[in-house]
Amino acid sequence: MSDEPLPGLDPVIHAQARLRVTVALATLPDHDRITFPRLRALLGMTAGNLSTHLRKLDEAGYVAITKAYERRSPVTYVALTETGRRAFTDYQAALRDLLAGPGANGDTP
Amino acid sequence: MERDAPDDDTGMSPEASMELIARERRHVGKRLGVNPAPIFTLWGVAFLVGWGACYLAAPQGPGPFLPVWTAIAILVVLYAAAIALPIVVGVRAGRGVRGPSRLTGAMYGWAWAFGFGALAVINAGLYRQGMSEETVSLLWSGTALLVTGLMYLAGGMLWRDLSQYALGVWMLVAAAGSVFAGMPGDFLVLSLAGGGGFLLWAGFWAVTGRGRR
Repeated sequence: MSDEPLPGLDPVIHAQARLRVTVALATLPDHDRITFPRLRALLGMTAGNLSTHLRKLDEAGYVAITKAYERRSPVTYVALTETGRRAFTDYQAALRDLLAGPGANGDTP
Repeated sequence: MERDAPDDDTGMSPEASMELIARERRHVGKRLGVNPAPIFTLWGVAFLVGWGACYLAAPQGPGPFLPVWTAIAILVVLYAAAIALPIVVGVRAGRGVRGPSRLTGAMYGWAWAFGFGALAVINAGLYRQGMSEETVSLLWSGTALLVTGLMYLAGGMLWRDLSQYALGVWMLVAAAGSVFAGMPGDFLVLSLAGGGGFLLWAGFWAVTGRGRR
């Protein structure tokens, strides 16, 4: 396996940790958001690692990170944006194209 | 449990990536979602055993085979467990999640409390007007099954779940049937039709609903 991402696969999503984050957020019902600690617990990642990957997803505009105050303590919420949801759908379509093999439907993006 | 991947592992094959998506979706879905099968099973047992005990304890029935207080104690304990389970499971699954789905879930949960709260007040008020014991028993079984049936119609509509809607219709049929069964036949309707309906639904879900959200 090379370190080069496969052609046609969004490099922001096509990395194990970020793919797991994206899937977890996409599994939430539409327009729901999740706290950072719960997401961390779901994924079993360290806080530092999750922050790093969330920052990359945020830079791409795929996640929305909001801070709120609940009972006077700060809470960070994470949600997939519309852009992120679409990117994940496209990523899955690209995977299916790759798995179908060359020439399966003619046009690999 | 820490499962950190190398920081930028972009060398996954498409197959590995597909597999990871499916695995994570199952893993996260299981933790964020509520599996209704155990909840409905417990409600089925509560109805079947609790109301079955009431039927067997009724002096007007074929028995009585056990004291009335024993039957009521069994019913109360089973009901308490059946009410607590969905609350505990729902709160645990929803920890740290906010948004429209949580609001819907909370409104649905409270609708049960409001529905049965009003039902208790109305039935108690009617009892004070001087109803016979038999009429009161039929009133309770009929209205309780009616509210239950309506709640499952609502649940079916909210989550676009035809099977839950069908359970609601079944409970409405049982509600009507219980009134004509007389006392203590209405206990038997609650036990067999009510409890049986829950258990059938739980079985249906366990067979067909795996992996569904």
